Amino acid sequence: MSQAGGQKPAANRMTLQTFKARLGGASKGFKLLKKKRDALKAKFQVIFRPAFKILSPTCSRRLHLPALLKEIVDTKLKVGEGLKDGAFSLAKAHYASSGDDIASTVIERAKRPSITTKLYPDNVAGVSIPLFKMSYDASKDSSAQTLGVACGGAVINAARETYRKAVVSLVKLASLQTAFHTLDEEIKMTSRRVNALEYVLIPRIEDIIHYITQEMDEQAREEFFRVKKVGRGCASSSSPSLKTEVVEKKKVKLQKEKDEMAAAGKRTEAAIDAPSMLATKKDEDLIF
Amino acid sequence: MVTVYSKPGGLTTFNIKDGFVEALLRGYKLGFLKDVDYRSILQCDNLSDVKLNLQETDYGNFCAEVQQVSPSIIREKAMEKLVAEFEYLRSQADYPLAQFLDYITYDYMIDNVMLILKATLNNPNVDIFSLVKQAHPLGQFEESVLKSICAFENSAKGYGELYQSVLIDTPIGKYFAKFLEEESAKSAQNANDVQNLLAELSATRLESSLRKLYLEDFAHFCETLGGETAEIMLNLLKARADATAINITLNSFDTQLNQINTRKSQRKPLYPSMGFLYPEGTEKLSEVGDENDLASVLRTYPIYEEIFKSHQGQSNEQTIDDAFYEREVELNEMAFEGQFQYAAFYSYVRLKEQEIRNLVWICECIVQRRKDRTSDHFVPIFSKEAKFRNRNR
Repeated sequence: MSQAGGQKPAANRMTLQTFKARLGGASKGFKLLKKKRDALKAKFQVIFRPAFKILSPTCSRRLHLPALLKEIVDTKLKVGEGLKDGAFSLAKAHYASSGDDIASTVIERAKRPSITTKLYPDNVAGVSIPLFKMSYDASKDSSAQTLGVACGGAVINAARETYRKAVVSLVKLASLQTAFHTLDEEIKMTSRRVNALEYVLIPRIEDIIHYITQEMDEQAREEFFRVKKVGRGCASSSSPSLKTEVVEKKKVKLQKEKDEMAAAGKRTEAAIDAPSMLATKKDEDLIF
Repeated sequence: MVTVYSKPGGLTTFNIKDGFVEALLRGYKLGFLKDVDYRSILQCDNLSDVKLNLQETDYGNFCAEVQQVSPSIIREKAMEKLVAEFEYLRSQADYPLAQFLDYITYDYMIDNVMLILKATLNNPNVDIFSLVKQAHPLGQFEESVLKSICAFENSAKGYGELYQSVLIDTPIGKYFAKFLEEESAKSAQNANDVQNLLAELSATRLESSLRKLYLEDFAHFCETLGGETAEIMLNLLKARADATAINITLNSFDTQLNQINTRKSQRKPLYPSMGFLYPEGTEKLSEVGDENDLASVLRTYPIYEEIFKSHQGQSNEQTIDDAFYEREVELNEMAFEGQFQYAAFYSYVRLKEQEIRNLVWICECIVQRRKDRTSDHFVPIFSKEAKFRNRNR
């Protein structure tokens, strides 16, 4: 039984209609959101792989390792390898250039960047994900070309190539990770909404509707009971006309109510299992 | 230029003035790391082990105060040791040995000036102290000189001003003077060309020109010394000049220097006017356009052909720089075979540098866990396992 607040809404047909409309809206929304969540999840396929150590910390599903994560893991490994190779080739370049530290010279020569990235929005199942695209302009590299003319030029170029490859994987990794984060957030939010609807809102509304119909049934039964009592009282009293009038009024009123209730819904019919006033024995005519 | 007051003595008279210093040098020679030392270092898994192992050798506690050892720190400290030894030799030396040792330092002074110039060109507010730290310790200037170099501006006049105010007092000033002469000669012909050069290209030209002038000057000085010194030193310097020429040619293939119209005018002046390749070899080299041409030119010089083959071979492990280093080590070791000459001092410095390079390379390999690749760039010094000693087996 819902304990929703202290205010119970007024138990009449209007509120009943309002709440029924809300229930309809809520269940439609619930179905749609569920579909969206399933679609987003399907983006992540279900493959079980015991590679937990390298998982990103925001992975909220520990049992199923999505294919997206697998790609991230692979790219991370590649980045690690690439940077390791890069560091090694840099050490070689140091050795080749008479043991001097070329890092400072490279930094001093760097002017315009030859590698640039752009951010594009990509649409996946209704979610907008940012994507990085890398563009490499070799002509802007010229400032570093004459770096090792006297000695070690080839090795320095090799080091540059190795690092450039590492940067390519880095950019890819960045795109994958942002995609993963965004999708994860989106899925969490949608799941929250779906669960909220399923377990909180809809039951609440259903409870309220149930309560209203119950109240209305009780009211109908009270009326019926009252009319019966009044009718019995009228029959045993001395002023028949008065009684007749009262009875007639009651009859009309009841009839009206019954009609309205019949129009309101099939639920109310069940409440009126009590025998109809008009169908039972006729009252004796009162003779003056 | 300082005139030479006397020459190094021969068999009977050398020890009068220079005997003590040479004895010191022979003592230092024993301090080179041996094969067994290298092997034990290679067994280490991290740099503190390396530090421990080095304590057994002549390096002793050179890294004693340093908590966290890294390859660059090892290089720094090893350099310090070399500089200390060199300074001691220099302080005990008399003319003309002192002059000879000074010539050795001019090389590093050129390095330092280029470093400062490059830094200043790109960033006028560069921090001078960080530069001083990076400068090669053997080629020290005074701080006032360094500061004035920093105030240099990049223009055709700039170089002239720099020379007038600062470099004229330094030993390498004369090289600068010659460079400016050549520059102004060129600009008289073609003012536009000088303007259109990229800043990097002119820096490269400056460095190469300074280097080549230095080599030529040093060779001339050695000739005046005469005797065995001249013989051996000329050998060494010629080999170095050839290495420079070949390297410049090889590395210029992808750059502006390789375009046909610029080859003669810009690349050729970079070759030193000495060496076994001079003059016919350099003439041919200046016309080389790609690697095949280079190979055909070098065919007439079998030693360089061998070296060049290593470049054309698997380029992953041994590069042409390694081959040149090996040759240099071979020649420098030979210098120690004879006595009563100064070439041993020059060789000592070069070999010590190579040793430092080896050490740093091994440390990098250890740090990056690539111990299998150590032998790529490692040249053993004074070792029975050196390649050239086993060549004819």
